[in-house]
Parts: sequence; structure tokens; C-alpha cells
Amino acid sequence: MRSPPRILVFTIAVMLILVAVHSNTSTYLRADEIQPQFNQAITQVRLAESAGATQSEITELVTTLNKALELDGQAVKLRSPNDTQQRADLLARVNVMLNEVQTNASVLETVASQRTRTNTVLAYVYGGVAAAVGTFAYAVLFAFYRRYRIKRTFQMKVTVK
Amino acid sequence: MVFITLIVVFEMIAYVATTPRPSEQFFQLYVLGSNGRAAGYYPNNDTYISPNETVSWYLGTTNFMGNVQLVDVRVKLGNQTINPPNDTQGLPSPAPLITEFQRFTQDNETWEFPFVWRVTNAGLVNNTMHILTVEINGETFQVVDCSARSGYNFRLIFELWTWDTNTDAFQFGWETSGEHPVAWLQIWFNMTTSTPFQYA
Repeated sequence: MRSPPRILVFTIAVMLILVAVHSNTSTYLRADEIQPQFNQAITQVRLAESAGATQSEITELVTTLNKALELDGQAVKLRSPNDTQQRADLLARVNVMLNEVQTNASVLETVASQRTRTNTVLAYVYGGVAAAVGTFAYAVLFAFYRRYRIKRTFQMKVTVK
Repeated sequence: MVFITLIVVFEMIAYVATTPRPSEQFFQLYVLGSNGRAAGYYPNNDTYISPNETVSWYLGTTNFMGNVQLVDVRVKLGNQTINPPNDTQGLPSPAPLITEFQRFTQDNETWEFPFVWRVTNAGLVNNTMHILTVEINGETFQVVDCSARSGYNFRLIFELWTWDTNTDAFQFGWETSGEHPVAWLQIWFNMTTSTPFQYA
């Protein structure tokens, strides 16, 4: 019987090594499993932040994200076939939490955006009001000053030296 | 004229108050000794560590990026010959990964946690010390091929990785203003044992 070509043996050996390496390092590939949902959640939270959400508002979202991350870590460690159901339950909970974060972050983005817009408009309006009040105060003070100067002028006593 | 002057001044104040100022974006990464200070990294201040000797440190990172970040602190075990992370090229160390710690951190948030470790299985063969298993925070990890001549100059390397939303993956370091800074630390130690080489 003819032995298989060397290149075939080499290819199979390389594939086996790659599979072995992958199985050894799969503990650290948690990101692959959480990738899409976590990525969307982070993006949405950052949008809420840039829209002007406060630190305390973001803290609630980050706390939920960390809980989801912790559960995901627990799920990844469950590798035995007997743990399939528990793993699926954990991942389902992670999914629910991440969806919740995305929804809340989206609402927060809208609220924070409106609040920031309102605050900006108010700041400029207050600027105009302050300018008007300042102008009025200046006019009043200037009028008083003129009256005072006129009064002082008429109170002057002319003495001949 | 007065009104125009005042309105320009007050509107400028309103603009400054409502416009967020750009700040430098960076991370801080640190390791503290057993007492929570930058000292006392080794038991009895001796860099020679025996198998099963517990070493207590604190790992910490602070987020100054201005937004929420998913941080990943990777712990690697290296020896004297393996390359450390490359700062200029932003490349991580090729040393074997032992474990990693992940967490979401807010802007200006410091995340500090205990890092208690010990080498649980190591042995000397042909005057070369091989570390086979390491226990970190109560969990045992296999070490793939890490040895040092006479047990000198092992090092634990801590690398800071962050989640990149553009590539949907962790990246070593972080992106800021078109630059790619990295943060990493290493602590050297020597491993001594009189026990012969044993496979776990």
C-alpha cells in the first residue's frame, strides 16, 4: 500500500496542532462570544455619555454591564456537556441584561440630549438677559451719576480771589 | 454700544460653559505591594521565591479616556530572553498568557483588585527551572513552556488591553488622537527549588 504524500501528513499535523492550540486558549476568547452584544452596548452607552448623561446615570449602566461580564465569564467556564443547560441559561441572562442596557442607554441618550440642548439654549438666553440687565443697570447708574454731577455743579460756590 | 459689548461678553461665557473642553485621554496601570504601597513586592523583601510561597500584590488601572471603557488586564509569564511588549510598535509580549481580568470602567474610575499568586508546580531539570502551574487568586492555571536558567529572571508581565468598538476586538493599548499608546508593567523574580522536575 502506498503511503500518503508528505504534504498531506504535514497539513493534517498542522491542523491538529492548530485545533489543540485553539482548545487550550479558548478560555481567553470570551470576547468572541460576547462580541456583538457587548460591542453594541458599549457603543450605545458612549452615545449616551457624549449626549451629556451624568456620571451617576452612567454608573447604573456600567454596573449592569459588569454583572453581564461576570455571568459571561461563568458561562465560558462551563465546558462539560452536563453544563450545557446552565451555560445556555447564563448566556440568556447576559443577553437580556445587554438588551436592557442598550434600551436604557438609548432612552438616556434621548433624555440627556434634550437636557443638554435645553441647558445650552438657556445658557445663551441667560447671557442675553444678563446683557440686558447689565445695560439697564449701566443706564440707571449713569443717569444717577449725571444727576449727581449736575447737582454738584449747581452747588458750587463762586468765590472771587 | 454697552449692550453689544455686554452681550458679546456674556455669550462668550455661555459658549465656554456649555462647550466640553478636550482633555488628554490615557490610562494608568499600576502594581502595588502587599501593603498597598509601591514597596514590599516580595515576601521578606527577597526576590527569590519558593514554590507554594504566596505573593500578594494589588493591580490597578484608572480610566482617563473620557468615556466608558472595557478594560482587559492580561497577565503573562516570561523569562529573561522573551521579548517584552514593544512600546514603539505597540506590540504585546509573545510570552504565554496565564490569565486575564476584564471590567467596564467609567471615566475617572480606578479599578483596583488583589492579585495573590504562587507557583504551585515547578521543577529543575538540567539546571533549568520550569514553571508548570501558577495559582492566581485561588484559581490554578497551566503554564505553557516557561523556563529560566537556574531559575533566574522570571517575570510577570501585565498588559493593558482595551476594547476597540471599530474592530470588535481587544487591542493592546488604546487609540487617542491618531496615536496608539500602550501600558504595561513587569516584575522580576527568581524561582528556587530543590525538588526534581515533576509533571502535574
